[in-house]
Amino acid sequence: MDIVNTFATILARPDLWAGTLRFAAPLTLAALGGVISERSGVVNIAMEGMMLVGAFFAVLVGAATHDIVLATLASVLCGGLIATFHGVASIHLRANQIVSGMAINLFALGLTSFLMFRFYATSGTPSDIPALPDVNIPVINSIPFVGAVIGDLNSIVWVSILAVPVTWWFLFRTRIGLRIRAVGEHPRAADTLGVSVFRMRYLCVILSGLFSGLGGAYLALSVAHSFSDNMTSGAGFIALAAMIFGKWHPVGAFLACLLFGFGQSLGINLQGTGFPDQLVAATPYVLTVVALAGFVGRAVAPAADGVPYEVGE
Amino acid sequence: MRMLAAGITPVLAVVLAIIVGGIVVLASGSNPITAYESMLVGAVGSPFDISETFISSIPLILAAYAVSFAFRSGLFNIGAEGQLYMGAIAATWVATTLSDWPGLPLIIVCIVAAMAAGGAWAGIAGWLKAKTGAHEVITTMMLSYVAIDISHWLLEAGPMTPANAFGTPESGPIPPQAAFPVILPSWILPNARLNASLFLTILAGLVFAWILWRTPLGYEIRAVGLNAKAAAYGGINVARRLVIAMVIAGAFAGLAGMVPVWVQMRLYDSFSPGYGYEAIAVALVGKNSAVGIFLAGLLYGAMIHGAVAMQANANISGFLVQILQALVLFFVGAEVLIRWFLRRGGFRALAEAAS
Repeated sequence: MDIVNTFATILARPDLWAGTLRFAAPLTLAALGGVISERSGVVNIAMEGMMLVGAFFAVLVGAATHDIVLATLASVLCGGLIATFHGVASIHLRANQIVSGMAINLFALGLTSFLMFRFYATSGTPSDIPALPDVNIPVINSIPFVGAVIGDLNSIVWVSILAVPVTWWFLFRTRIGLRIRAVGEHPRAADTLGVSVFRMRYLCVILSGLFSGLGGAYLALSVAHSFSDNMTSGAGFIALAAMIFGKWHPVGAFLACLLFGFGQSLGINLQGTGFPDQLVAATPYVLTVVALAGFVGRAVAPAADGVPYEVGE
Repeated sequence: MRMLAAGITPVLAVVLAIIVGGIVVLASGSNPITAYESMLVGAVGSPFDISETFISSIPLILAAYAVSFAFRSGLFNIGAEGQLYMGAIAATWVATTLSDWPGLPLIIVCIVAAMAAGGAWAGIAGWLKAKTGAHEVITTMMLSYVAIDISHWLLEAGPMTPANAFGTPESGPIPPQAAFPVILPSWILPNARLNASLFLTILAGLVFAWILWRTPLGYEIRAVGLNAKAAAYGGINVARRLVIAMVIAGAFAGLAGMVPVWVQMRLYDSFSPGYGYEAIAVALVGKNSAVGIFLAGLLYGAMIHGAVAMQANANISGFLVQILQALVLFFVGAEVLIRWFLRRGGFRALAEAAS
């Protein structure tokens, strides 16, 4: 009964649910980027590296300019820039996209930590970097429970939530989205109909970099207010798992991110309750494996995912 | 010519990586020559450093065999890290529990435990893939996080926490008779730590190649990896081969986890600096061959060990190594680029052979 009571108390805490949304936000952004990239046929396991680069340059530019807009912009653009390398490798150079993705991850870890040592070795990152603003919603704020959950979330949390229907609409309800999916399923056919396979794929890979970069900015400028070596610590890989778990669909990926966010939030809320929190921390991962094996079933990637396209004669 | 061609891409990739890495160092306001010189001296400048380079390389090589073996069956084992943790936990648990056993049987039981635990952990992912189609990239990665969390629990608040632990999360000591014998006796090279795990690693490489290229099982695993549908049509039980391939892969990773613990003679919390992840790069650079992986592992190990001296002596971040490793990987992946360079340089035949 004790266990039931503890869990009931924790489930009634607004902190648990607000935490779920907060932890899910960077995952959602990266996972949506992944969905877009892979729907166009480019395997992207480099969200981790793109987030890390976004996080570092958010802090670097934030410290230099004290301007939140410039800092966020820098992180988004740097995420896009490093994604471009992945694009060139996998689209023009027809490299193995997993190799290229791993290289980007390793490069991002190396570069950001290298520059961290170069700029902030002795002192750590400065404390006077700008923060991403919270959104205080006046009326909802005063509703009990609901207000405590969503009344005072960070702006990027809202951006991540809004990005889900927008991405869905973009991929499934616009002309360009149709072209993207065509390129990911059957590039030859799309090419025959006059769709530029290369252009679509570059667009999508770079978009994934922009999304992941913003996720990194959120981690650095809202969650941590600093940068430290390898600070994403696997968030990009969790986002990758969420993308596959969600079957390459924006809404599915978002739900998977919520599950991971819930697991992280639960782990934190269970600290000090006598449960071995190290084992509680493992629950979202176990749940994922069980869910994947039990009722999600076979995940089918876009047909041309990971296959470089060669322009015919 | 074929041997030369097989090696040319990685070698040129290293050269290109050194050049681009040098530009990064230069751009950050340091001298690349100083950086590379101190890294090289740090990695192989003395017999002691060479021994340490091997110590850094061995877990990478073994874990890369784990990545590659699965890769040969068409599975992307991204979770060697977790299999490595399970191997380390099992070996440590056996060694500390049976601490009154004599040396040789104890070492053998520990090796078996490490390989069995790693194999079982990877086998779960293989079994799920075969039974339900659960994507191995997710399951191996999720199982990695679970394994690491289990090790945190065991060492911080669980049954492996020794009674006299003063807050440092670590296991009890590995009994000294269970240690791998050190290769170089102290009157030749004092304090050298390189031990017989080097021979185990060479043996592992031989076993890796032997299974894949000299046994029916290996043939079938490679057939599944090349075209699962054709293999099934040819009468191969694809599901069973996938599970076996993952179990064997995990056994390599389990051994990879035991080795660093047997250097420090204790299992520490977060003992792996990401061997399982870097092993993916080593496997890819080594082109999934036993010899290639061994050489790539030595290269990556040398860079890791050399970085320590470079950061201390030249005041350049040791993370330059990750940049170099990434660039090597990138250029190995982008073979088209290498072939273009070769063709430009007039090595047309080599360029064709390298493809």
